[in-house]
Amino acid sequence: MIQIDDLTFRYRESEHPVVEGITLDIPDGCFVGITGAAGSGKSTLTYAMNGIIPHCYPGDFYGSVTIDGMDTCDVSLTDISQVVGSVCQDIDSQIVTSIVEDEVLYGLENFGVPHDQIEERVTEALQSMGIEDLRHRVIASLSGGQKQKIAIASVLALHPKVLMLDEPTAELDPASSRAVFQLLSRYAWEHGTTVVVVEQKIALLSEFADMLVIVDGGTIRFADEPRAVLAHSEELLKLGVNCPRSTTLMNRLAGVGLYEGPVCCDVQEATSALMEVIA
Amino acid sequence: MNGFLEYVPGDSLLHRLNPVTKIVFAVLFAITCFCTSNIFFLCGMLICGIIMAASCQMLRPVLGLMKAVLAFSVILAVLLLLTSPSGDVLVELPWGYIGTGSIMAAVTTIVRLEAAAIPLFLTFYVTKMTDLSNSVVKVLHVPYKYAFTFASTVHFIPVFMNDMKSIMEAQTARGVEFDQGGIVNKIRLMVPLCVPLLVSSVRKTNSAAIAAEVRGFNLRTRESGYKQYPFSAVDLVVMLIAVALLVAVILVP
Repeated sequence: MIQIDDLTFRYRESEHPVVEGITLDIPDGCFVGITGAAGSGKSTLTYAMNGIIPHCYPGDFYGSVTIDGMDTCDVSLTDISQVVGSVCQDIDSQIVTSIVEDEVLYGLENFGVPHDQIEERVTEALQSMGIEDLRHRVIASLSGGQKQKIAIASVLALHPKVLMLDEPTAELDPASSRAVFQLLSRYAWEHGTTVVVVEQKIALLSEFADMLVIVDGGTIRFADEPRAVLAHSEELLKLGVNCPRSTTLMNRLAGVGLYEGPVCCDVQEATSALMEVIA
Repeated sequence: MNGFLEYVPGDSLLHRLNPVTKIVFAVLFAITCFCTSNIFFLCGMLICGIIMAASCQMLRPVLGLMKAVLAFSVILAVLLLLTSPSGDVLVELPWGYIGTGSIMAAVTTIVRLEAAAIPLFLTFYVTKMTDLSNSVVKVLHVPYKYAFTFASTVHFIPVFMNDMKSIMEAQTARGVEFDQGGIVNKIRLMVPLCVPLLVSSVRKTNSAAIAAEVRGFNLRTRESGYKQYPFSAVDLVVMLIAVALLVAVILVP
């Protein structure tokens, strides 16, 4: 679905490239989690995948990004956005209307969805984020977490082939963050949507993602299925990426030869593995 | 707590009117106020405005607005008082005099500005911004770009006021005494804050533009709007009243 080939990008106002020599192939229907320390180039990488780079930020662009067969440099941002639905980091500036329902309607109206399908799409999008009860509320009166769900719903309503989310759970507590990931992964599975999420909460990514990408200093350090990436917990720590503590513990035990099983992603796996070791 | 020019949900007659009716009525009402100098008529218009506000439970925000308009119109009124000598002489001035006519002119200005402002502001309190911009695009054929620019401007006012507040709070927490001294001191302390505010607003505006573009802003046409805004008999009556008022002040001197 998305092919990035030797991508290097330097913003006009910065001296060094923010991302350099990135090559990544994201297959159709894959749930990809991108993480890395602050300033590592995660957001820039997503901008390259939703066409904001090179269309909105000027700079030097080398290599190519192909989405669903389109080279992002050859087509307009509007063309790309019919395939890729994006939720940006700054939720407040992304919201263009004052009522929840209108916010979801906005994209549908613009993309010319036939009027007889609109009602159904709005209801479906609100339901899939679990916010039907907010439909007629004034957005300014809602919490940050609710706004985040609205922003996601308004993109889901467009039925994009690719969903690109930049820190969608930044304003959510752990329980709601998990709920958002559950909703996203169920939606993606039902609709065959490719999902790319930038996220700091690595435990969530390792639970839900099919592929985990670790970005450091503008390059990709690891891009593999979560267990394979988490096996390198010591190196990840050096890159400023905190693995789940259960993973780190089990990897250390494996390091001193006390444990030989597969990499553990969460507390349950670690507990049962430990039980076996002790027994 | 509702912000400046922010829609307040409700179900009054004014809420239910067609957005186009509301904006046209408000504009004609304002023009009418500027076409007459009859103080009794203007007072009547002012009372009409207040009754309209009361009819949709907007009395409190409208009274707040009236205070703001009063502050502004008093400045104009004082200027008029000092510069338009007419009527019986009351106070001699080196360059003329203040007369009964000057007082009348000053009072008329205050009442006129108050009366003209109320329906315009009321329109924003009882109409969703999206409905307003969608309907003027659909019915009045205003290009969407202009309607969107206007809607976004109004949408961002509370966002920026919030930003300003948080910058000021952050400074207060670090010992800047915004609460000491008078208004002059406050303004003096606020001026340097305009730079960070400007930077953050440019950034916000930029990301808002990108966000609108990735959701198909450029594809939007007059037919895109999903909601329809049909005119009812009540809308027609309201429009006729507005036109009748305007015609009346033009014909009756």
